[in-house]
Amino acid sequence: MVNVKEIEGKNFNIKRSAEEDRILSFKDHVCIGCGLCEATCPVEAICLDEVAPIERKYTETYFSGHEKIAQNYALFKNDNEAKAKLCIAEDKCVLCGMCSGVCPAGALELTIGGVSIKENEAYPSLVTSAEIDEDKCLFCKKCEAACPRASITIDRTLPNRADLVTGEIEVCEDECIYCGACAELCPAEAIVVDKTTGEESIVIDKEKCVYCLVCKKACPVNAIKAVCRSCSYGEYDLDPAKAAITGNAIIDNETCIKCGWCEGVCPADAATVKQAFKGTLEIDEEKCGTCGACIDVCPCNVLSFPKSSGPGDRGTHLVKEEDYCIHCGACAKACPNGALTVTRTDIDYTPTSSKSWIAAFEALKN
Amino acid sequence: MELKVDQDKCLGCGVCVIACPVNASISPENAGGHGSKTTETIMMVENGFIKLFSVDKCDKCGTCQMFCPTEAIWLE
Repeated sequence: MVNVKEIEGKNFNIKRSAEEDRILSFKDHVCIGCGLCEATCPVEAICLDEVAPIERKYTETYFSGHEKIAQNYALFKNDNEAKAKLCIAEDKCVLCGMCSGVCPAGALELTIGGVSIKENEAYPSLVTSAEIDEDKCLFCKKCEAACPRASITIDRTLPNRADLVTGEIEVCEDECIYCGACAELCPAEAIVVDKTTGEESIVIDKEKCVYCLVCKKACPVNAIKAVCRSCSYGEYDLDPAKAAITGNAIIDNETCIKCGWCEGVCPADAATVKQAFKGTLEIDEEKCGTCGACIDVCPCNVLSFPKSSGPGDRGTHLVKEEDYCIHCGACAKACPNGALTVTRTDIDYTPTSSKSWIAAFEALKN
Repeated sequence: MELKVDQDKCLGCGVCVIACPVNASISPENAGGHGSKTTETIMMVENGFIKLFSVDKCDKCGTCQMFCPTEAIWLE
């Protein structure tokens, strides 16, 4: 009964091949350092190791004045020396999968015979989801910018500009003096004027023209005529299909932690997020030493210091966006002063007949 | 003495199945590696939780009890 540990960078697999093949895999880039696995493990095989700032794409990656996190950040930047957030003693691990069940980020996953226990009805799993309804999505990319884990990719196709133009420019060549003023001013570079004596010409590229009428206003001899399709054709000729913005909204479910920022910022109610934990996050301002450790580890960008009022001035009180808190407790673990309290009052998980697993999930409430 | 299991405590880890020396003698691949699906063994994990099968074969050595992380299997 020997477990085999396969280490690949900061990720690892613990394997046991007997009765059935069990593999517990850990993905460091997905781990949020909340330590729920450590608290749940029935054989005390798990140890939350190095606390490092969460890597973020759009926001400040590092803020902390907290010494330990500062050290780990230095290691974190140098990927070769960086340590995994979690270590699991393979000789203690019994591959029961409880850590995998309670992990809110999906960093730990137990597979039995190649099937994840999340797909096995005998085992309970946290009920979470994040979806973007592409029929409602405007592909505005607000969620992409707000996502603290850079898990959303919005891939959009804008309409062809020429299809949105509602008019045309015509040049009366009898009046044109080929001065080139229109060509120089055209913002779309749609006009080409050839001034060669005897071979003068003016050409308008209708694909480039945006019908802004700058040329008409600039023409010294009023040789440019504007032909508005909206009025002269009697009706608006814009084809709605051609003007539509199309695209795809993709959530990377591996790194998504279901915090709900996308739902919060979406102007079209296209994103829906279901969190597994309900609870509260409390800040004790008297204990807070404003080191910023919590801000660095929070996977959901819930905590921040308010914007400074002047240069060199740093916020002295912590603020929270509690709607987006997943109540994982990573901040409370990172805080050196015990200023943060995370309380989980309700946990949504799929039913199971096993009382030991129910007890493990219920123990997450505090 | 009798071998007992408490499915409510069982995590379904299957350590007892592998540790059991009787299981190993009945189905050697069980201890060493490749999994047995025969009900000839004393116990097996079924649908995620432990179940006793040929319990009369138990030699009452207590190895399973020693390895169980949650005291879900014991001799009484």
